[in-house]
Amino acid sequence: MGVRTCSDCTLASRASAQGAVDGRQMPIRRLPPLLVNQIAAGEVVERPASVVKELVENSLDAGATRVRVEIEQGGRELIRVIDDGAGIDPEDLPLAIAPHATSKIAAAEDLEAVRTLGFRGEALASIASVSRMRIVSRPRGAETAAVIETEGDRVEPVRPAAGPQGTRIEVRSLFFNVPARRKFLRGESTEAGRIADLIAALAMAQPHVGFTLTQDGRAALEVPLGHSARDRVAAILGRDVAPELLEARSGDEGAWVRVWGLVGRPSTARRTGRALRIFVNGRVVADRVVLHAVREAYRGLIDPTRHPTAAVFLEVDPGEVDVNVHPTKAEVRFRNSSAIHQAVHRAVRAALRAADLVPEFDLGRGGSRDAERARGALPSFVTGSEPLSGAGPAGIEEPGSAGGPAAAVGSGSGSGGSAAAPYGESDDLLRRAAAALRSGSGGFSTPAAFAPGASAPPSTHPGSPGAAARSAVARGVRPPIEQLPIPVAAVRVLQVHDAYLVLEDAEGLRIIDQHALHERAMFERIRTRLAAGALERQRLLLPQSIEADPGRMESLARVGPLLERLGIDAEPSGPRTIAIHALPTLLFERGVDPVRFVEALLDRATDSEESPSEEGALGDVIAMMACKAAIKAGDRLRAAEIDELLRRADELERSSACPHGRPTTLRISLRQLDRQFGR
Amino acid sequence: MKVVCDRSALLDALTLAQGVTAARTPQPALQCVRLSATPGSLAVAATDLEIALRIGLAQVDVKQEGDAVIPADKLLQIVRASEDATLTIETAKTTMHIRGADSHFKVYGPEVKDFPALPGPAEKGPTCEIPAGSLRRLITRTIFATAVENSRFAINGVLFDRQGRKLRLVATDGRRLALAKGECGSGEGEHRCIVPTKALNVLVRLVDDPEAPIQIAADQGRIRFTVGIGEDAAVLTSVLVEGAFPPFEDVIPKDQDKRLAIDAGELSSAVRRAALLTNEESKGVRFSFADRTLTLSSRAPEMGEAEIHLDLDEYQGESMEIGFNPAFVIDALKHVDGGPVTIELKAPNKPGLIKQGQDFTYVLMPVSLP
Ligand SMILES: Nc1ncnc2c1ncn2[C@@H]1O[C@H](COP(=O)(O)OP(=O)(O)OP(=O)(O)O)[C@@H](O)[C@H]1O
Ligand SMILES: [Mg+2]
Repeated sequence: MGVRTCSDCTLASRASAQGAVDGRQMPIRRLPPLLVNQIAAGEVVERPASVVKELVENSLDAGATRVRVEIEQGGRELIRVIDDGAGIDPEDLPLAIAPHATSKIAAAEDLEAVRTLGFRGEALASIASVSRMRIVSRPRGAETAAVIETEGDRVEPVRPAAGPQGTRIEVRSLFFNVPARRKFLRGESTEAGRIADLIAALAMAQPHVGFTLTQDGRAALEVPLGHSARDRVAAILGRDVAPELLEARSGDEGAWVRVWGLVGRPSTARRTGRALRIFVNGRVVADRVVLHAVREAYRGLIDPTRHPTAAVFLEVDPGEVDVNVHPTKAEVRFRNSSAIHQAVHRAVRAALRAADLVPEFDLGRGGSRDAERARGALPSFVTGSEPLSGAGPAGIEEPGSAGGPAAAVGSGSGSGGSAAAPYGESDDLLRRAAAALRSGSGGFSTPAAFAPGASAPPSTHPGSPGAAARSAVARGVRPPIEQLPIPVAAVRVLQVHDAYLVLEDAEGLRIIDQHALHERAMFERIRTRLAAGALERQRLLLPQSIEADPGRMESLARVGPLLERLGIDAEPSGPRTIAIHALPTLLFERGVDPVRFVEALLDRATDSEESPSEEGALGDVIAMMACKAAIKAGDRLRAAEIDELLRRADELERSSACPHGRPTTLRISLRQLDRQFGR
Repeated sequence: MKVVCDRSALLDALTLAQGVTAARTPQPALQCVRLSATPGSLAVAATDLEIALRIGLAQVDVKQEGDAVIPADKLLQIVRASEDATLTIETAKTTMHIRGADSHFKVYGPEVKDFPALPGPAEKGPTCEIPAGSLRRLITRTIFATAVENSRFAINGVLFDRQGRKLRLVATDGRRLALAKGECGSGEGEHRCIVPTKALNVLVRLVDDPEAPIQIAADQGRIRFTVGIGEDAAVLTSVLVEGAFPPFEDVIPKDQDKRLAIDAGELSSAVRRAALLTNEESKGVRFSFADRTLTLSSRAPEMGEAEIHLDLDEYQGESMEIGFNPAFVIDALKHVDGGPVTIELKAPNKPGLIKQGQDFTYVLMPVSLP
């Protein structure tokens, strides 16, 4: 960090160049205060969005009910944050911009339980050192306002001014005195996109506060004050996503950790992680433990390369979380991260489990439904005539998106008027259809039997509306009724090609991938079992040995506790051999070769670079086990086995994908059949 | 070739031969039987290249010698469906005519030369002779413990270990091991080999007279069983399983310090009932041994629990709990004689033993208990 900061700073690099010419060590000197602040700024203020974050957080700490943010040229020229919060006393104004001055904590103990977003007393000083700043503030109850202005290390005396109650801070010409940094800023639209994204996140974190964001004079986002958390999430994620959100919850009133969230059905998964937001005690964070727990909960429900749409709010006892671990406070550290992981996982999982997630098999006209949705998908917070289409990194990271980077906020070029949800892919019909065509499916990899050619009757009319989307099978459209248990002892179950089961249900037909379904059922069972304790292990008459290179030996040491839980009893039995004494009972069931299984497991652990969290590794291994222990495609099943499989699937949960994200069950509704047959 | 044969004798021979033919094979001849008529007898032969079976039939009237090869399943269906006491079989080139009182079937088969040559008699290796009933008993008491699946543990065969007249058969799947001892009528030297389970399953079905002698001859790669004598004898030849059998003597524990006797039927019934509440990932049934009682308990999460009490006449040793896969216990009890078995234990993570007399020893490894 230090090196980069110095090279960014012209003063520092000039000084070191001098030292090098002399060929002597430079004498140690105290750095001038401006330079100190600029170095600190290097950590806190990376880009315009960081300035916005610090300023808005200050407003929120001051109890603002409305926050207005105005930016010009992506924030490089002007960032203005106006709030109606408590304000700053005129005599405190110089202190506010002084380093290490804060009104939020007073002693070290306070750090243990920070309840405000800010606590270091560093942000304003850092920002002031790299910009031209002006603060106008009128404290609650005061007759007039006061103003202070700074430029680099030059501070103007405080003067009385006129202004409404609250604080208004303007930051102009960011990095005017640190050219190297200024050079590193990305294009205006990128910076603007980041700011929009940030405000969206902050707005979700503080649902009751009203937010307005204008970019170059145009409204980019507006949410009223007094929202409920649900309304706010819905407003930010978009009206089309709102009905797809399920409520997740865990932890009672008074528990040291409580989780509440809105999590999208699998069909709302996105290609970018933009729509997956984590909040801890009102803070926007990117916490790995929580993110992992959410992703784990979606395991098997979405393609692993996609990201769930979810907003997850944690209320954690302040003593249980350290917020002082990251320069921009983007991360936190939990004292008991595995309990946090568990709470989040459980909440999200339960929400998903409660929903019927069987995707409908698209026989051809599903596309039109999506088109309707796309048309109705005006983001609710867009106020002006300018849609926020393509705003934010979502628009940038997706090559081939309608707008592309140029369509970023405020550039005035929407994507042909078809507005889109701002934080993820647009619902633009053509684009989705194109993507579906490319991948052969709407996000899931589709079993070969359902490939376009196999499913779409040749007589469909090319060029008719929605034709492009015809092959977009398995798009994850929610079936119309909520509870659809798989009928056990269904009168007619047909096993086709020893791979799929076809059965009748109230809605029409269900097609089940026998391997995927069994795998999924095994996955759930093993996971449930593991939560209760180690898996049952069967001892071997004679230990089985594996040859082990140092890599395997090392991973054995590393994954030892994991193996223990899985019911694998393995230990080194020589410099280059590992002896297996016991293996999980269930692996024997389907004739898995346990030696090869343990070898694969150790090799996988060797390959993974960083030591994965135990939860993470566990999920992978369970998936591996489930896959190995499951019925394969090509296994002819007896009637009793089919019944058993269906019963178990139903007993577990109504889910739609195997742990690898392939669907387990598809549905063809009677309605679809009728339509296809022209009834 | 032309023969008149007793239908039921032919049916029996074809049924056995059908069990040897290859299930799925690109070589149609391997799904056929070969009929060879020689003066006074007809032989039915089948092979899948690993096992070869040749059954002699004496209840035939050979009108004309010769050979024929015919799809096993078709011939079997015809013979089975027929209601005649005798059938006349006649071949002309590759066409077979099967005639009954009111029927005439014509079935086409491959050329006789397409049928693989059956292996000749084993080179003079060690031989022994044992009553068919005794060998069958040794086989059924061990073969169940072989591994079904094709994994590294699977020793897809049963060890024959003979020292003079003493014959031991041993089978294991890596988690349990069954050992049965018997006595040969005659036997020279010693011999050890692993016989594939498929061959033994066929062999067991060849036995109808327990008193009939079985000659066993083996060489490096093959074993040959001759069941019965004379025209009616059946000869089964099989390749041997290569590789080393696990050191089974080391696996049989010798220092068990807890011992009890219990009626096999009673225990079997109790274990069966306890097994009703187990599932795929937790199979284990808990065996709690205490003074004069054995309690079996099981639990399947989300399903329920079971507990069964048995009175013990005697139990020597401290009380202890151990988990076993119930299927393994039931398997053994199914193959012992009625009456008591002895159970010997040491510790929850050490093997358990089920014995009956001196002749049957069964080692089973425990499962962990929750
Ligand atoms: N919008 C505002 N309304 C009222 N007071 C403010 C506002 N912005 C800043 N202040 C005052 O200025 C002080 C310094 O702000 P600054 O952001 O530099 O530090 P901080 O918020 O205390 O800590 P951190 O560096 O962690 O953000 C704050 O402690 C607060 O008292
Ligand atoms: Mg602050």
